[in-house]
Amino acid sequence: MDAFALELRGIVKTYAGGVRALDGVDVTIARGEIHALCGENGAGKTTLAAIAAGRLRPTSGSVTRAGNAGFVPQHPHLVDRLRVWENVLLGREPRRGLRLDERAAREDVAALGATYGLPVDPRARVETLDAGAKQRVEILRELAREPALLILDEPTSALAPAESDVLFDVLRALAARGTAVLVVTHDLGDVAAYAERITVLRAGRVAARFERGAQPAAIAGAMIGGELPALAARTSRATAPCFEARGLEAGSGAAALRGFDLEVRGGEIVGIAGVEGNGQRPLADAIAGVAPYRGTLHLDGRELAPGRPAARIAAGLRTIAADRQREGLILDWSVLENLALGDQRRAPLGGGLTLHRGAMRDRSASVVERFDVRAPSLDARVSMLSGGNQQKLLAGRALAETPRLLLACEPTRGIDVAAAALLRSRLIEARNAGVAVLAISLELDELFEIADRIVVLFRGAGAGEFERGAFDRARIGAAMAGVRGR
Amino acid sequence: MNDAFAGAASFAALTLVKTAPILFAALGGVLCERSGVVNIALEGQLAAGAFAAVVVAGATGNPLLGLVAGVVAGALLGFVLGFAATRFAADHIVAGMGLNIFALGACAFGIVVAFRRPGASDEVAALGNAGEAALIAVALCAALGMHAFLYLTPWGLRLRACGENPAAVRDAGLDPARLRTIACTLGGGLTGLGGVFLALAELDLYSDGMTAGRGFIALAAVIFGGWTPLGAAAASLVFGALSALQFGLQRSGIPSEAMQALPYLAALAALAGLTGRARAPQADGVPEERRFD
Repeated sequence: MDAFALELRGIVKTYAGGVRALDGVDVTIARGEIHALCGENGAGKTTLAAIAAGRLRPTSGSVTRAGNAGFVPQHPHLVDRLRVWENVLLGREPRRGLRLDERAAREDVAALGATYGLPVDPRARVETLDAGAKQRVEILRELAREPALLILDEPTSALAPAESDVLFDVLRALAARGTAVLVVTHDLGDVAAYAERITVLRAGRVAARFERGAQPAAIAGAMIGGELPALAARTSRATAPCFEARGLEAGSGAAALRGFDLEVRGGEIVGIAGVEGNGQRPLADAIAGVAPYRGTLHLDGRELAPGRPAARIAAGLRTIAADRQREGLILDWSVLENLALGDQRRAPLGGGLTLHRGAMRDRSASVVERFDVRAPSLDARVSMLSGGNQQKLLAGRALAETPRLLLACEPTRGIDVAAAALLRSRLIEARNAGVAVLAISLELDELFEIADRIVVLFRGAGAGEFERGAFDRARIGAAMAGVRGR
Repeated sequence: MNDAFAGAASFAALTLVKTAPILFAALGGVLCERSGVVNIALEGQLAAGAFAAVVVAGATGNPLLGLVAGVVAGALLGFVLGFAATRFAADHIVAGMGLNIFALGACAFGIVVAFRRPGASDEVAALGNAGEAALIAVALCAALGMHAFLYLTPWGLRLRACGENPAAVRDAGLDPARLRTIACTLGGGLTGLGGVFLALAELDLYSDGMTAGRGFIALAAVIFGGWTPLGAAAASLVFGALSALQFGLQRSGIPSEAMQALPYLAALAALAGLTGRARAPQADGVPEERRFD
């Protein structure tokens, strides 16, 4: 049968500077097929997706598409202050004479949403929507052009498990109508559950191809070119009181924190589970001291005063920020400089009139080695590193020395399995060394792997607490959805 | 009673005369900034418009040709700003500063070349009172027209989207660099018309420094007006009235420098959020980048 939606033959892409991102890749996707493209960071997935979408020209090789391609990028490309209908129909606006026909536009968007099972309010401003709704808008915008092929880059990275299921139901329905779907993802759970065929890229070449039903471990092995390393073992040790939050209120609106109590002991990892927007953000900001809050926070028996992030750092708090590029790192600065941030005031890095470059270099070299940060040099700009290496840098900075409390927000968001495994091991090792670790993550599987205790956040309050050994996906999922257990 | 009425009428007339050049420049600024390009070159565009208008009107004896030349000169500078900001991803502030310095210097030099003496041109054929009134009407209509364009037409939507998130515009199959360049060129033309007003309607000559910071006052009006055409028009009217008031207060003992500072204080207040939620376009001044992998 000759019903290809996309045929890529011998794709080579060499970037300026001689970096060969793709080296002779063949991929074909049939109409109505859900195809997954997996690979580590830097394997060439996003480059290949951009070429498939027609947004990037290959250095050599042929691209044949049955129609046009839609592309949903990992981070939404939406105009926040415009309405949903304006975003969806931008560039294809219905008009009457010279004027926009707003009524027709709203009706078009509502009808489009109904057709594809992607409910949206055409008049809502995009900035008021949550991550899932923004993604629906983005998908609708692409579907409005009736593409033969829809490409999604890491579509589940900002979604809760239930939302991911809904998304894949929509993609299945779309495939059933004959549209080919290409999903670029590192989430092997998604891949195993929904993809009909799987292409694994490694270092710019096709490393393996799988059909539905392949074992996630086999796919992961093909991605990293070997066995997935086991996580660090957790050594049992006595825990000691360390961090305590009482009656915490912070944030505003639906995501506000409403009277939350929490204890994290030294030598344990407490995981905060919950659907995005249930108070994780205000919780992290309050503990880091970067946003106002009410209630009390104690670290090692001393109260942390509001609004003094530097005092918290001095007291032994280190943070892995949720958004590495916006909050965590200064992309135009070097690896060396980024690794000094936060400790520049104190010995051994600072303390006098000038920074101690030698000490900065020693510390950076040690972090880069322990966290396997692949950087051309310590003086390389952080913007040149891949997302996974940036994340390893961020975590490495937080664990450069042994902090008292580690606040880890989405510690492995959007990075590949090998890098994620490495970071999870480092978190467990920190716990073994007596650090109190608070891990806030939307990835429940991650918390299952690392946490000693899971606390569920629902609408800004604790909705359940589960000890390791009694982790139960169904009960935790119910608590996340606000269904009270008995 | 008649005196008071006459006084009010002349104050209103003077306000409109003082408003028009600021308004033209402010509208040019709004167009430019809504597309995402910060335009601090309004001052230079006003000067270029005034200079070109005087030179062409002087050479041809036809003030209407001067008007066209002024618009073209402003548009040309606008195009250069847009081109530098998009194709070369230049920093908008640096590019705008460069254009201001270039335009003011080039005009001063051009006066020497064209009129054989420094400082000011000869008096040339001007637009007269009728022309002045017509241009004031054009300025006010342009504010309404730009409002309709930005908020009621597809092209206005695309332009606004461009100032908020050019990546979304490119995803929609449009070229944000092209849209920005067009917006800068049209905005420059409008600002050039403000210069024409100064040189051929309010006066009939060009002299160095005649723009007297009006471009920056217009920039303040853009901000104070919340980056909207009608807001900028209202702000321009306020600033025009303040300027007209200076003539009446010259003997009152209030230093005129204090009055001249008011537009900037108003812009500061707007930036500090004292006038409600005026927000700059999100991608205003952000050079657009292509990034993959």
